[in-house]
Formats: sequence, C-alpha cells, structure tokens
Amino acid sequence: MSGFPRAFAAMLRVNIANMIQYRAEILLWSVWGIVNPTVLYVMWASAAGGSDDGTVAGLDRNGVATYYFSIMIVGHVTAAWDVYEMSYLVRKGSLSPQLLRPILPIWNSITGNLAYKITTMMFVLPMWAVFFFIVRPHFSTQPWQFGLAAVALVLGAVLNYMMCYTVALIAFWATKLDAVGEIYFGLCMMLGGRVAPIAGLPPVVSELAAVLPFQWMFAFPAELLAGIVTTPQEAMAGLGMQAAWVALTIILFNVVWRAAIRRYSAVSG
Amino acid sequence: MPQIAVEQLSKVFKVPEREGGFIASMGSLFRRRYREVRAVADVSFGVEAGEIVGFLGPNGAGKTTTLKMLSGLLFPTGGKAEVLGHTPWKRESAYLRRISMLMGQRSQLQWDLPAMDSFQVHGAIYDIPKPQFQQTLDELIELLDISSVLKKQVRTLSLGERMKCEICVSLLHRPDVLFLDEPTIGVDIEMQARIRRFIGEYNARYGATIILTSHYMADVTALCKRIVVIDHGKLLFDGSLAELSTRMAPFKVIKIDLDRPVDDYAFAALGDVMSCDDQKVVLRVPRKAASTATAKLLNDLPILDLTIEDPPIEDVIARVFGTRESDSAGDGKASMAEATTRRVK
Repeated sequence: MSGFPRAFAAMLRVNIANMIQYRAEILLWSVWGIVNPTVLYVMWASAAGGSDDGTVAGLDRNGVATYYFSIMIVGHVTAAWDVYEMSYLVRKGSLSPQLLRPILPIWNSITGNLAYKITTMMFVLPMWAVFFFIVRPHFSTQPWQFGLAAVALVLGAVLNYMMCYTVALIAFWATKLDAVGEIYFGLCMMLGGRVAPIAGLPPVVSELAAVLPFQWMFAFPAELLAGIVTTPQEAMAGLGMQAAWVALTIILFNVVWRAAIRRYSAVSG
Repeated sequence: MPQIAVEQLSKVFKVPEREGGFIASMGSLFRRRYREVRAVADVSFGVEAGEIVGFLGPNGAGKTTTLKMLSGLLFPTGGKAEVLGHTPWKRESAYLRRISMLMGQRSQLQWDLPAMDSFQVHGAIYDIPKPQFQQTLDELIELLDISSVLKKQVRTLSLGERMKCEICVSLLHRPDVLFLDEPTIGVDIEMQARIRRFIGEYNARYGATIILTSHYMADVTALCKRIVVIDHGKLLFDGSLAELSTRMAPFKVIKIDLDRPVDDYAFAALGDVMSCDDQKVVLRVPRKAASTATAKLLNDLPILDLTIEDPPIEDVIARVFGTRESDSAGDGKASMAEATTRRVK
C-alpha cells in the first residue's frame, strides 16, 4: 500500500490505538448514544399508547420501536463532533502540527471519527441487542430497503460529518464554539427526526426541515431501515437528495477551508 | 539563487484589547477595541542551501511569526517569500513534504501512545518507502540515543526525551529545509548540548538548510555562522557573529590573573574595569587599543596569566536590544541598530 491509502490506514490504526487507551470513556459515550433514543422511544411509545387511534406520527407502538431502534443505529453511525473540538484546536494552536503535514487535517479527524465508531462497536452491539430483545421492534423491511438503507446510512454519515466539520470552521473566526455546537446538535435533534419522527413535527417545523439537510442525515436512513419509505422511487429520490447535499457540503467545505487557513493565526506556538 | 528568499515580508495581527477590571469587561461586551500589531515589518533576507542561520530577538520580536509564514502556517499581510521554489502559504503538498518545522512548545507526537506509533504514521503520511524509513529511523534512533524510550507512552517521557522524539519525527522524511523554533527549550544543559550536536550532524550529513530560533546563545554560537537579528518585527542585523560583535560591541575583554594585588588606578587609563576581585581583574578596552593595552599590562604589572576575548554574545545581543529600546525612547543617541539596518539594506 502506498500514497493516500497508506496514510489513511496508518491514521486509522493510530486513532483506534488512541481510543483503546480510554476504554471507560468510550463505554460511557456508547451508553450516552443509547440513552437518548431510548428516552425518546419511551416517550413516543407512551404517547402512541395513550392516543385514540393508538398511533403517533402515523406509527403505532411497534412502529415507534422500529423507528427508534433504527434511529439508535443511525445516530451511532452518523455521529460527528468536530464542532466541539475545532475551537480547542484553533484556540490552543494545536492545529499547527497537523497543518504542517502534506495531508489535510480533516483526514485525521475522519479517521478519528471512524476509529470511534469501530472501537465502540464492541459496546454498542450488545446494547442494541438488549434494546432489541426488550422492545421487540418489528421490521417489515424488504431486502432492497435494507440495501438502500446501508447506502443512505453512509451518505447520512458523510453529510453530517461534512456539515459538522464545515460549521466547526467558524472557530477560525469566532474562537469559541461551544454554543454553536449546542445549536447544531439541537438542530440535528429537532429537524433531523430524532426528537420526533418528521411526520410528527408541527407543519411549520416540518416545512423548515424539508429545505434543510438534517432529515437527510438521520430521519431518511432511519425511515428506509424501518421500512417506512415504501417505494423505490421515494428511496431513490431520498438518496438523490442526500447525494446533492453531500456534494454541496463538500464544495462549501472547500470554500470555507481556504478562507479559514488564511485567517489562521497559529497562536501559542 | 538562495534556497530561501524573503522579500519585504510583513504580518499584521489585529488583536482585541481592553483595560483590566469588571467595568471594562462589561464595556467590551458592547464595544470591542482592536489594535493592530505589526509582528513582522518588511523583512528581507536570503538563505543559501546547506546554511544554518540563527534567528535572534527578544520575546515578541517576530521570529516565530516569520518561521510560521515560511513554513506555510500563516498567510503574510504583505511581501513575498520563496522556499525551495515554492510560495510557502500556498501549502502545496510537494512543498510540505520537503520541509519540517519543529516547535519546542508544540507536540507532533501522539500523547497517549508510544513514540514509535507516531513515527510510523509520519512515515505513512509522507509516503516514505519502507526501506528508507527504516534506515532513517535507525540512524535517528542511534544519533539521538532514544532506543530505550520508543516503547514508552509519550506522556510519560521526560521533557528531554520527548524533545528528542519530536526531533526524530520531524526529520524522518529527511526535510531539505528545517525550521527549528526553540528546539532546546526547557531541557537541561547536557541535553541541550546533545540536541545541538545532533542538529550539526544532521546538517552535515544531509546538507539541510536550517533556520533556528533560540534564547540560548550557546545554540546559536555552536551552530550558526550567520545570524539574523530581529526586533519589533524589523530586521536589525544580518551577518556573522563576529561581525555583530565587532559592530555592536567594539571592545575586547581582557582577563588578568595577577601575582599580587595592584591598585585599581593602574588599569583606569587602559579601559573600563568590569570587575576587580583581589588578584583577578576584568577589563574592557576598545578593540583598536587592545594590543597596546595588553603590551602595557604585560610590561608594567606582575601578570601571571592574561586572556583577550570577544565580549560574551549575550552582552552583544543585550546591547543591540538595549540600544533599540533607548532609540525608541527618543534619547537622540547615535543608533547602532540604525547602523546595522543600513548595512543590511
């Protein structure tokens, strides 16, 4: 192996080694990833049970279970957190050593992101299994839906990652980004169909969600996985939207990155 | 053609500022004041292939900012620079593969892992062919004497051990140009000497061009035939250490061991008495008068031993910056700094 694949593989290996140093930390993050959708499942399942027709946002209790089990998987696979880390790297000058290398710093961050997802598998898989056996979601998903859901999951992960990293570049102008991180996370939860399925959002919010990328990161892959997206046409249109947003965020990243490194003041050495 | 060519390079930072205290803090909520800091002001110089140049200046002089621009970390506000035929701040991969910047206060190593892991990632990122990587690594391990620390977590290493590993990782791809920013900061004297020796050996072995900043004059005197003095972002001097000494401190230091105590007035006519401790005397005499003064001392006084030295480089540098301070205070003295700047221009 040589060139970029060699560098990528080496960075991935070292990031996995780094993660393994802190097993307790990644266990706790894994738990955090499970708790959130579990709480929301309990809330919406109760709401469905208490409603007149036994449904909420068009889903019965079993549908809610299937949706939130899917959201649990999607949430893990698409997780991105650079908006919280970038301000530290910029403020402390820790980005400088990465900028001196002949490879964009984003690749170190991407391999770090993948390393987290790979190393936490040993914790999340048993947790998902426990959730599955307790909640008993029923998947009526067809093989073609599973296949396209896998593609949607990858595109959703790329989209959330690129958007999160691009937003994180605000750190080159604003220095501290904790609040931006919280806003971004809030938007992902609300407009991404994680707090509630998109169909259950108030009309004005769902209209807003329709023109923003968040539902294509989380809700769409989860709906495809849960079998809620029923026709191949709908599925292909959704994948097309994901691809378009991915292309747009990559272009946006390139533009913002060029401006950002011109701004970089390389403080503290 | 020089390997590093810098022309009228400038960098201005816009920094927020306010008075101390709660009221000023509240005020800055509504109205923020900024000040422009000219960190580097129209600096020009060139460095030939294989040269080691010492960059000297007090804290905040603009040394590190200049190196950061030359390594591509910072965009300049004005001016031009070419290193190895590249404009550094374009940050082309072909350029970054041929340089290295070692920042004494900034780690390139994976903190929680053994240093060897960082070396291997570095080898992969720079796509160093495996046999060459192994050969260079073996050489560096031997030269830096770090074989015993390679398996330890970086965060458990002593500062000196970590610095040597930082140097190792910086050099694995055999950079043609090396920017060393305080490479010996914080390490003990013995370690400083070893790092210094190593830098000299690396330069001799690979013909690398090196720009070095250090607050330790021993680093500079041991490694650099040429120095560039910078202060308040401006280039004050560019030449050899001996030249700087002659220009900035036009005197010699004569150290005398006497057979028996002698009255102070015996020396007063020859120069300034720097110290007089029983039978040991240190005199400062004008350069041109050094031989006459020496002859007179040997003829007239009971001398056991006598040495003539250039003034310590620390004193010379202190005079450069001291002169500059007094210039900016507007005391109207003839400016050595101006004289040297004229020479540079």
